[in-house]
Amino acid sequence: MNKTSKPSLSAGAWLWLLLCAAVLAYLPTLLTERAFLGMPLSNTQLLNLGLSQINLMLISMLGALSLNYLTGCAGLISIGHAAFFATGAMAAAVFDTQLGWPFPLVLLAAALAGALAGTLAGLPSLRVRGLYFVLSTLAVHYVVTYVFLEYQFKYFDVVGIPYATPRLGDWELNTPVRWYALLLPLVVLVYWGLKASLKSREGRAMLAMRDHELAATSVGVDVRILRLKAFALSSAIASVAGALFAYYLSNVTSEAFNILFAIQFIAMIIIGGMGSLSGSLVGAAIWLLLPSIIGGLSPQSSESNEFLGKLLVEHRAQLVQLIFSILVIVFLIFAPGGVAGLATSLKNAWQAWRAKP
Amino acid sequence: MFEQVFFSGLALGSIYGLVALGFAVIFKATDVFNFAQGMFVVCGAYFAVTAISILQLPFPLAILFIIGAAALLGVLIHMVLIQPLSGRPMLSVIMLTIALSIALRAFIEIVFGPQGRSLATPMPTGVLMLGEVRISYLHLTAALVSWVCMAGFGLFFRFTSVGLLMRACADNHEAVVVSGVNVNTMNRLAWGIGSTLAAVGGVFLGQLQIASTELEGIGLLALPAVVIGGMQSIPGAIIGGLLVGIIEQMAATYISPKSSDIVIYVLLLLILMVRPWGLFGQRELGRV
Amino acid sequence: MSTVLDIQHLSVAYNRKGLALEDVSLQVPQGGIVALLGANGAGKSTLIRAVTGLLALHHGQITGGQVHMLGQLVSGLPAHRLVRLGMGQVPEGRLVFKQLSVEDNLLVGAAVLPRAQVKDGLDAVYHLFPRLLERRTQAAGWMSGGEQQMLALGRAMIAKPKLLLVDELSLGLAPLIVADIYKQLRVIGETLGTAMLVVEQNAKLALSFAQSAYLLQQGRVVLSGSAAMVAASPEMKASYLGEARQAGKASA
Repeated sequence: MNKTSKPSLSAGAWLWLLLCAAVLAYLPTLLTERAFLGMPLSNTQLLNLGLSQINLMLISMLGALSLNYLTGCAGLISIGHAAFFATGAMAAAVFDTQLGWPFPLVLLAAALAGALAGTLAGLPSLRVRGLYFVLSTLAVHYVVTYVFLEYQFKYFDVVGIPYATPRLGDWELNTPVRWYALLLPLVVLVYWGLKASLKSREGRAMLAMRDHELAATSVGVDVRILRLKAFALSSAIASVAGALFAYYLSNVTSEAFNILFAIQFIAMIIIGGMGSLSGSLVGAAIWLLLPSIIGGLSPQSSESNEFLGKLLVEHRAQLVQLIFSILVIVFLIFAPGGVAGLATSLKNAWQAWRAKP
Repeated sequence: MFEQVFFSGLALGSIYGLVALGFAVIFKATDVFNFAQGMFVVCGAYFAVTAISILQLPFPLAILFIIGAAALLGVLIHMVLIQPLSGRPMLSVIMLTIALSIALRAFIEIVFGPQGRSLATPMPTGVLMLGEVRISYLHLTAALVSWVCMAGFGLFFRFTSVGLLMRACADNHEAVVVSGVNVNTMNRLAWGIGSTLAAVGGVFLGQLQIASTELEGIGLLALPAVVIGGMQSIPGAIIGGLLVGIIEQMAATYISPKSSDIVIYVLLLLILMVRPWGLFGQRELGRV
Repeated sequence: MSTVLDIQHLSVAYNRKGLALEDVSLQVPQGGIVALLGANGAGKSTLIRAVTGLLALHHGQITGGQVHMLGQLVSGLPAHRLVRLGMGQVPEGRLVFKQLSVEDNLLVGAAVLPRAQVKDGLDAVYHLFPRLLERRTQAAGWMSGGEQQMLALGRAMIAKPKLLLVDELSLGLAPLIVADIYKQLRVIGETLGTAMLVVEQNAKLALSFAQSAYLLQQGRVVLSGSAAMVAASPEMKASYLGEARQAGKASA
């Protein structure tokens, strides 16, 4: 089979990549010192963002990427993704808090636990399809979070499961900058890894399976094994993300992994664009920015309009949810390809305009 | 003791049956798996709060208000959200109903506050003693009204000409278009009925407990009920609801209160693995 | 109006498949029986869908031309409106309500009638198709193909349409049954004066039944005229290669 040669990146793409790298490298300094090259910036100018929120966004990017791989690329609709985060958190609790294993091994254990859980969760796909399968993922969610709840109450208490500060040798992950240094490369790694996997023979078989299962089967693709593999990989990544999430918050309860948590990831991949890995990153970023922007608006508007102020302050969480869900609905009806789809349409329109004589 | 649990399970199950029926009507007519059905239940409870506590309507008028508001909600949702998405892939529609439920929940919490509100309906309180078994009048009323609604719908579905058209819609979408029926009207009717049935359930659940967005979790139990009973079957949905109610109460009493939901979902998983078309559904041929 | 159905320069395209019909014109006169012929994929079903308002359901749209029924512009109207305006449809594949009884099937078709006329409508259909009366309480899904076809026909007729559109009546049915049903159609045409447009792959059968015919090839009308003229034409023989080959073999 001929491998099509990878087109080398144009000069414009290289410039763009370097710019992104520069921005990402400077970001922690920008946010910790709250100043750009010495010029101090207000909170509003920084969109009310702090490095800790960026870190949470990076963790949720892992979740969005893994879910998009499963749903957007392999075509397996799952609304139980929170269950795999819980699996990772539980693995971290067992292997670190209880057994005291070193951090890298704990992450590995979390990945394996996630892969196992994912394979089990994917088993119904061998039996049922479509809507019935979605329901099975819902049931899996409830079962796993229940197990987590029981585990939490048996070995810990209602306050939650505590997590020690992770360390790599002597280097402790105890500041946001250090977390950023760990998380950013990890996200980039997972992103490139998944992208490469989709270009591989198996990856392309998976995309074929998503688009037309019958056709894929007819050319010899074993869809059943492929589905389980996709589930295992996706859940392993989510599980690692869940472990990191638990470490980052240093204390989690089972409440953290409720169905709303799972739904947020679906919202991210819909807004970003299903099937588009880069879209998932955008979706996660929007999820991050929205509460910050709203939080930023509250001081000014509560002076100008009492009702609006009350709305923004007292009911901030609900307002975020309301806007986010309406955003999802608007995207579903008017831009089903998500941000990625819009970007592609824009690019096509731009090229068509440029091609005009 | 067992009879006690069984009867309260039956009463609660009647309410679940009602909500599940509403769900099945929507599914059979429009092929949409309405994850927002749980929120329709909550909306029902809050319509009651609005009518009784805020607008201070006399009870009969309040009932009309609740039914009218719920039906309007269902119809509007179909017109504005569901109809534009007809023909789209399943994840889009599922996600739409999920997003809708989140939006409704957030909206209600903004307007009414996150704490629950107690409902002050003039429904009978007090307890009836049947031998050793205590049955609250409220449970009895809830069960009775639920059964009346379900039977009413059954009669409508089976014996009226509009009901015939709805059955035809569920049977073969294209054939019904060819026969001169306005399918959009039928679909809106289905959504109006589905949301109204859920709202009635919500009024009772709100009175039994408290009107809060937490009721959504209870309303969502209609989903496994419908699957267990058989998604394409109207009587299956009702029986599924009854079963869920009984099993839930049994689990809460004999195992632990927290485990009651899990038992239902484990049962759901089992059914999906062993007999996905439910107890009363029919096998679907070759759906890829 | 002497023309019941008037199609003028109709062009139709599907979303992803391009032009399916190009500049098609066709007339069905009052009380007339017109056959629409052509090989698979020639565009017959597309034309029917365009006339009956079902194009959108199949991701297509009218890109040019107009359709008038009884002098009224009907292109672009939704299907259920057309039925109320007097268009009866017997779609391809019969499309009966499998889980409903025969009588219920007919009652769905009668939904467009005022309440008082339903009973008479039912009686009329049972008179036309006694077999349906025998099976009135049986579920439609269990009936034979021929009986289902009669049911679909009865359901369309109960609303007393002025124009009847029949799509691929003979598909999957035994020749004797098909002949029987066409006989019934002729009775309907003669007694009720219903105009008909019949899409039929079996050209010979259609041409013996219809008064005039149109031949579609790759989305265009290549031939039209009286049934006898069309039957004898060289295009007809060319369009159905089998016949030409056979004729060639016989003469060889």
